[in-house]
Amino acid sequence: MVLALLVLPVVLFVVLIFLWPVARFLALSVDNSDMSGNLPRTIVALSQDVPESGLPSEAVFVALVEDLAAAKRAGREGVLAQLVNQRLVGTRFLIIKTAKDAADGKLDMRPVRESLIDRHSGWSNPALWQELSRQKGAFTDYYLLNSVDLMRGEDNAIASVPPDRAVFLDVLLRTIWISAVVTVLCALLALPLAQAIVSAPPTWSRLMFALVLFPLWTSLLVRTVIWIIVLQRNGPVNATLMGLGIVGEPLNLVYTRFSLYVAMVQVLLPMMVLSIVAVMRRVPATYMRAALSLGASWLTAWRRVQLPLILPGILSGGAIVFVFSLGYYITPTLVGGPTDQMVSSYIAFYTNNTLNWGLGAALSLQLLLILLMFAFLFLTANAILKRRTAA
Amino acid sequence: MNADVFRKWLMYGYSALLLSFIILPLLIVVPMSLTSSNSLAFPTPGYSLRWYEELWIDQRWPNALWNSLVIALSTTLLSCVLGIPAAIGLAWGNFPGKKVIYAIIAAPLVVPVVIVGVAAFSFFATLGLVGSKLSIILTHTAMAVPVMLTTVVASLSTFDRTLVRAAASLGAGTMRTFFKVILPLIAPGVVTGAIVAFIISFDEVVVASFLSVGNERTLPRMIFSGVRESVSPAIAAVAVLLILFSAILLALIGWLQVRSQRMRMRVVA
Repeated sequence: MVLALLVLPVVLFVVLIFLWPVARFLALSVDNSDMSGNLPRTIVALSQDVPESGLPSEAVFVALVEDLAAAKRAGREGVLAQLVNQRLVGTRFLIIKTAKDAADGKLDMRPVRESLIDRHSGWSNPALWQELSRQKGAFTDYYLLNSVDLMRGEDNAIASVPPDRAVFLDVLLRTIWISAVVTVLCALLALPLAQAIVSAPPTWSRLMFALVLFPLWTSLLVRTVIWIIVLQRNGPVNATLMGLGIVGEPLNLVYTRFSLYVAMVQVLLPMMVLSIVAVMRRVPATYMRAALSLGASWLTAWRRVQLPLILPGILSGGAIVFVFSLGYYITPTLVGGPTDQMVSSYIAFYTNNTLNWGLGAALSLQLLLILLMFAFLFLTANAILKRRTAA
Repeated sequence: MNADVFRKWLMYGYSALLLSFIILPLLIVVPMSLTSSNSLAFPTPGYSLRWYEELWIDQRWPNALWNSLVIALSTTLLSCVLGIPAAIGLAWGNFPGKKVIYAIIAAPLVVPVVIVGVAAFSFFATLGLVGSKLSIILTHTAMAVPVMLTTVVASLSTFDRTLVRAAASLGAGTMRTFFKVILPLIAPGVVTGAIVAFIISFDEVVVASFLSVGNERTLPRMIFSGVRESVSPAIAAVAVLLILFSAILLALIGWLQVRSQRMRMRVVA
């Protein structure tokens, strides 16, 4: 089949350049090979160990020193220190220094356990050993649990993280909340405008449509930057408010939840208008007139006749706006304050700034799942709606 | 009937208000960018072109523009090369798994761009390609190809396939049929798709900020990192230039659509 061969290059391209990198990145959310691969002997020794007085026995310490020496020689001690530090803050230098001493042969004095603790007292911390004894294989659920504010507590049971470290559920709920508010605002604002576009004379209708479409052609970044300029302390909005005597001194409008909503609504509104107009154009104007001539008030006619007919348009517009909002990054980063950041910003933060790729990947997986779940919900709702109108 | 008139004016008044909310911010930066002062303020204290001049003097901005143009044009070209044959295959072919193929190709539209950026960064880091234009071009192409494909598939839906057989019966080879018969007829769709692909790449900032460093920075990347420090009049000037640029591209697409409509009318007549 020659025609199928024409499609092959693009499919291979997308799989290789897009799907494979994304899948590989998402797999980091359960990957533990950097931890288990660098502590093979310690993990085996720990699994056979019967701990006394909270600390493991001599054999485990011997294995640890061997592992760390090997890691240092392979140049992997930095990665290992980073990973352990993610789980137990403040252990980075302990690992790096111990690895250096181990490689230099300074920890060969028997018993290793006492000489190691003597040199680096951090190793007497039972919490550290508990953490290490949890590292079993090539996979871990640590990051996935962490991304929903859970952890493995005593006896390996799943428990909530301490309140001061519980941030991600808040971020997730905030992301969904911001997206929902933006979607509802867009729908409410777009409905009358769409109605005006559909019922206006052709020339006006075309002009209004072009004005709605125009922002879609300017970049998201430029539109976001413009809101910073417009809403800043000595920007046009504050100048107008002060000129009219509404406020005495400039308001802090930018870098707030307010500016985030304003910018996101302006950016996403055209999509909502587009999908409502597309459906509205197919509804004959005679339906409304019929309802009115039968004595319904305008509001009743609109609510009972027009609204049900254009509901699919609102729904598909809502789906687009909502799903787009969930993944927003640029706009919250630039015009939002610290408490307005959404999941995407945290993904960027953990991969860029703290190099915690596992957590970044777990948050990405979470975002993708939420997104797919909502997309599925919207599709189902649309299907139900279609069946009902068909019946 | 008085209530009807009132409602009508209410609707138009509201629309005017909402449309100015959409459009006015894009217009108001124009006078603001022409400021003669060192910072952005409204009303503008005095007018000059100094910030536009600044953009030319500061080597980094023309350099970033050049990077963006090279990347966007390469992305457009690669999207055409990959997208047009695939569109023909999908529009005319009759093979199983079409739905799966569409799903695979559309995936880059659904995945949040931060995830794309991070994934591309880790992927190209293992290949040692981070910081190269090639890595950005390849990722942008994956993001632009679905759009390219849909516009070409749409323009193929009105294409009369007997023309291909006619060309073959007159002795034209596959390549000749493609370039002399198919391509001219689907050209409006291809050009629209190409412009959209260009815009996707030219405006893209997240992938570019993960993958571009130093001298390889693209224009959006420069704006993004600039804004995080301070919003200077130079950035307002760049924003104005970019808005002008999209206005030109939009006009171009409008002109193309009118032209293709006229062409179709001529064929019918």
